[in-house]
Amino acid sequence: MMIEIIVAMVSVLAFGVSFHIPKSEYLYCALNGGIGWAVYRLCLNCSFGPTASALWATLVLTLAARVLSAVRKMPSTVFLIAGIFSLVPGSGIYYTSYYLIRNELSQGSAKGIETFKIAGAIVLGIIFGLALPQNWFNYLGRITERRQKKQEEEKN
Amino acid sequence: MSKNKKNLPQHVPICSESCRSKEILDLAVSMGEELLKNGAEIYRVQETVEHVMKAYGAEDFNVFVLTNGIFATIHENREDAGSIVRNVPIGTVNLEKIAVINQMSREICQGTCSICQAKKQLEQCRKTSVMPKRLLIPACGIGSAGFCYLLGGHPFDSLFSFFLGMLLQWFLLAAEERHVSKFLTDILGSAMVTIGGLVLYVLGLHIQFDRVIIGGIILLMPGVALVTAIRDLFNGDYLSGGIRLMDALLTGMSIAIGVGAAIKAFQLLGGGMLPL
Repeated sequence: MMIEIIVAMVSVLAFGVSFHIPKSEYLYCALNGGIGWAVYRLCLNCSFGPTASALWATLVLTLAARVLSAVRKMPSTVFLIAGIFSLVPGSGIYYTSYYLIRNELSQGSAKGIETFKIAGAIVLGIIFGLALPQNWFNYLGRITERRQKKQEEEKN
Repeated sequence: MSKNKKNLPQHVPICSESCRSKEILDLAVSMGEELLKNGAEIYRVQETVEHVMKAYGAEDFNVFVLTNGIFATIHENREDAGSIVRNVPIGTVNLEKIAVINQMSREICQGTCSICQAKKQLEQCRKTSVMPKRLLIPACGIGSAGFCYLLGGHPFDSLFSFFLGMLLQWFLLAAEERHVSKFLTDILGSAMVTIGGLVLYVLGLHIQFDRVIIGGIILLMPGVALVTAIRDLFNGDYLSGGIRLMDALLTGMSIAIGVGAAIKAFQLLGGGMLPL
């Protein structure tokens, strides 16, 4: 499990490079990817099924992205895109077309519907995560700002 | 960002007093264009343009943003009226530029950035070179290998995913240079990765070639388009969200077509049924 989370962080970061994540945010984006995968695996271990797991993972991930964006003063998209990458149903698309080509229609449509379900779960997860009012997160941002100012004053 | 609404400065130094409203409009819309081109959400573009115009003292303005265009007017009922329509094709995502322009608009709203400075910064932001190829290609390989492992592949499988991922990124960069259409790129890219996996299978290597292929095609997945589509829909920009959602769905279908075509061709060439 720990190895998996580390692998998830590294691969999220690697894809983040191709989306030009700002260099100062590499660590946080990787962290967000790790959080997403950790929640996903935990839910799967608790026999939640892939759809519900994707929903919970996206929800936690979206909230984490918003907290990070308030603290780091960055658009939340940066963290959200990086984090969501580990949950996008890539294998679903592959197996759907694989079964359709083999003319196993029932299995193909089952996989196709499952892929749509997971995509829908990701959508819902993001929407729930975005529904919380921005003020709460702004408050977090203000706290860190104050702390930084204090630190600077102490330095001076 | 909504937190910048308060405490707008009353007066900000401006380079030249003449043709000032045109200058403001051009700067604001150019910033919006840069945001939109690099994959920002609609509300962010709209708010940035509005904030910049307000910060520089424009009184009467309207902005309308779509996924692939910006329409804006300023001071409609005055002599120095101006309007701009910009066509913005959907480009590749560059989150760094979004972050830079976000920071710029924050500075403008705080009144610490004159129009001249802002223009120079924007020009610089446009010029910032993209990540060099020698970094991008291995990065994609590492990502593919990682996802191959996460989706249940053996570390040995990841090794091949690594090379397929590098191949795909190289192909994508080459296609971008030659302005190949997006669907064709997706179809050919996923077909290429699948063929790569099948070649490895034919060579008799003991790999789970399905995991290898899935790891390889992860980069093509429309994750970014999906996220942006939802954020647009959530903010009430249904048309723009719909455009992005359609983009995401079509990309997914293109990938499926590419993979399917490659497997079918393999079967027709006498490769027989593939084991799962």
